[in-house]
Amino acid sequence: MKLLIVEDEYSLRHSMIEFLTTSSYLCESSSNYQDALEKIELYDYDCIILDIMLPDGSGLDLLKSLKQNNKSDGIIIISAKGELDDKINGIEMGADDYLAKPFHLSELAVRVAAIIRRKSFQGKSNLIIGNISIDIQGKRVTIENKELDLTQKEYQLLIYLAINKNRVLSKNAIAQHLWGDDMDFPDNYDFIYAHIKNLRKKIVAAGSEDCIRSIYGEGYKMQIA
Amino acid sequence: MKLFTKYNRINITATIIIFLAGSVAFYFVLDYVLIRQLDASLRSEKQEITEYIQLHQQLPEIQNTKEQWIQITKASQPISNSITKTIPAYNKSENEREYIRQLIFMVTVNKENYLVAVNKSETETDELLKLIIPLTLSMVALILLFNYLINRRLITSIWQPFYNTINNIKDYAANQQSLTLSKEPIDEINLLNESLNKMTEQIHKDFYALRSFTENASHEMQTPLAIIRTKVESLYQLAEGKEIMMQQLLSIEDACLKLSKLHQSLLLLTKLENKQFILNELIQLKSILEQKCEERTELLESKHIKLQIDAANFEIHFHQHLAEILISNLLNNAIRYTAIGGTISISLFQKQLIVSNTGTTGSLDLDKVFTRFYKASDTGTGLGLSIIKEICTSAGFSISYVYEKNMHHFIIGFQA
Repeated sequence: MKLLIVEDEYSLRHSMIEFLTTSSYLCESSSNYQDALEKIELYDYDCIILDIMLPDGSGLDLLKSLKQNNKSDGIIIISAKGELDDKINGIEMGADDYLAKPFHLSELAVRVAAIIRRKSFQGKSNLIIGNISIDIQGKRVTIENKELDLTQKEYQLLIYLAINKNRVLSKNAIAQHLWGDDMDFPDNYDFIYAHIKNLRKKIVAAGSEDCIRSIYGEGYKMQIA
Repeated sequence: MKLFTKYNRINITATIIIFLAGSVAFYFVLDYVLIRQLDASLRSEKQEITEYIQLHQQLPEIQNTKEQWIQITKASQPISNSITKTIPAYNKSENEREYIRQLIFMVTVNKENYLVAVNKSETETDELLKLIIPLTLSMVALILLFNYLINRRLITSIWQPFYNTINNIKDYAANQQSLTLSKEPIDEINLLNESLNKMTEQIHKDFYALRSFTENASHEMQTPLAIIRTKVESLYQLAEGKEIMMQQLLSIEDACLKLSKLHQSLLLLTKLENKQFILNELIQLKSILEQKCEERTELLESKHIKLQIDAANFEIHFHQHLAEILISNLLNNAIRYTAIGGTISISLFQKQLIVSNTGTTGSLDLDKVFTRFYKASDTGTGLGLSIIKEICTSAGFSISYVYEKNMHHFIIGFQA
């Protein structure tokens, strides 16, 4: 899977490249409008991560030219303009998703994975993590043909952990992924722990090994060999 | 008080005082002059009598009239000077009391002393003086009436441009175009208009400069924050097996999150103050309320908070995004300050939305509760309630806070 990351801020660009490379994506990057325009004209990408405010142009113009050339690359806008109007604007112009800065890389990974799944496999592929198989379209989770009965939140949590497998995810990132960011989280994230605990119980009960590890209760990690 | 009323009040008082003082002075002067005239005629009478006696060595025949009469009596003892005085007397023919001016002097006829009293009635003088009072009063009334009529015409026509200017600036808001008040023939008003034009132009410029500064500053800050956050996320991967590092990274991430929320909140407040939202969408508050409560189910469960909702279905003119923020903030606030095992009750009706929660700390500071950065505890940004207040203000809703029977109540009235 090939990604293009268009972001002018060096540090942020590299963090994204580093993070997404470990998720076994092939990452290319651009730091300005001209370079990005050339790249999207020459190559096809599975997903383009697009910053709107570039030093020599607007990411929205890149989006326009992609749509004019009937390119089917998935597009996710990342912008410092976290306002609703910008969000609606971006989506209306044909972007697949919108992520406001600052965001968690793990969140970006989930969004990118969702876009690629939708674009490349029409959502028909199963996500397989160890011996857990997730049918995204049917929203079914099976372990060795035994179906798991998960709540909505447990299902979301499982996908989030699975896509970011072998990575430590902080309580903050998990809470924000599951509940969005207009919510006000209490200092203790006990309610996340409860969800993790239930999910682990159900996975173990279905006969799989206990692959979710707690990192001192501050973060969690799905460990898959 | 209106300019015209104020002016009239001063004008009328001054006129009345001046006329009263004037007429009192006029009365005394006239009285003095008339009495002197009377005395002069009495003296000339004396002169006539004295001359007659010197010539004829006998008392004159007395011809008394109604206005003047003379009494001659034998003097028991001689007086050296003549005496002039006013005495009260009774007029039988008119049946009333009146004052008489009297001049008494002594004459000597055939070595006998006689006292001669020349009397003159003061009635004419009195009547003249009495006339002055109604005359003055009617003069005052007439002058006041004409003053009033003239001033009313004059003030309204002269001050018309001033009132036009006032009407123009009354509804001026900073986010509007600057004013263009017209040139006027009166210098002062022209100066006023020019100054106002200049001032509003400056306000307008400053307003836009500040607005774009706030937005840009806010956006520019999000990128470094994004960098910090992503770097922290990478560091998490190295923190396995190091509990302290994990904890420290988590607090960096928390601070980051708080900073970015603070920015969003300040930006929102600025936009609300600048009236950048158009509130004309028809909104179902009930569905938003239910959705926001649903999102918080796990949070409520973890704090064992009992939630009671009593909501009616209706639509109001509002803004979808603002309605979501309003309800989210109210819920966040209620959840944050409710102790474990507490109760939150929400009632939503056509007239008002009341969000109540149990609180053990007593009433919040009524004066500060909606002030920015006011916090009852050290959690949160301290902007939630001021955002709620600004949203209500811009939508024309009323908001109030009451503490009653160990419950905090936030009441939003939709028909403020």
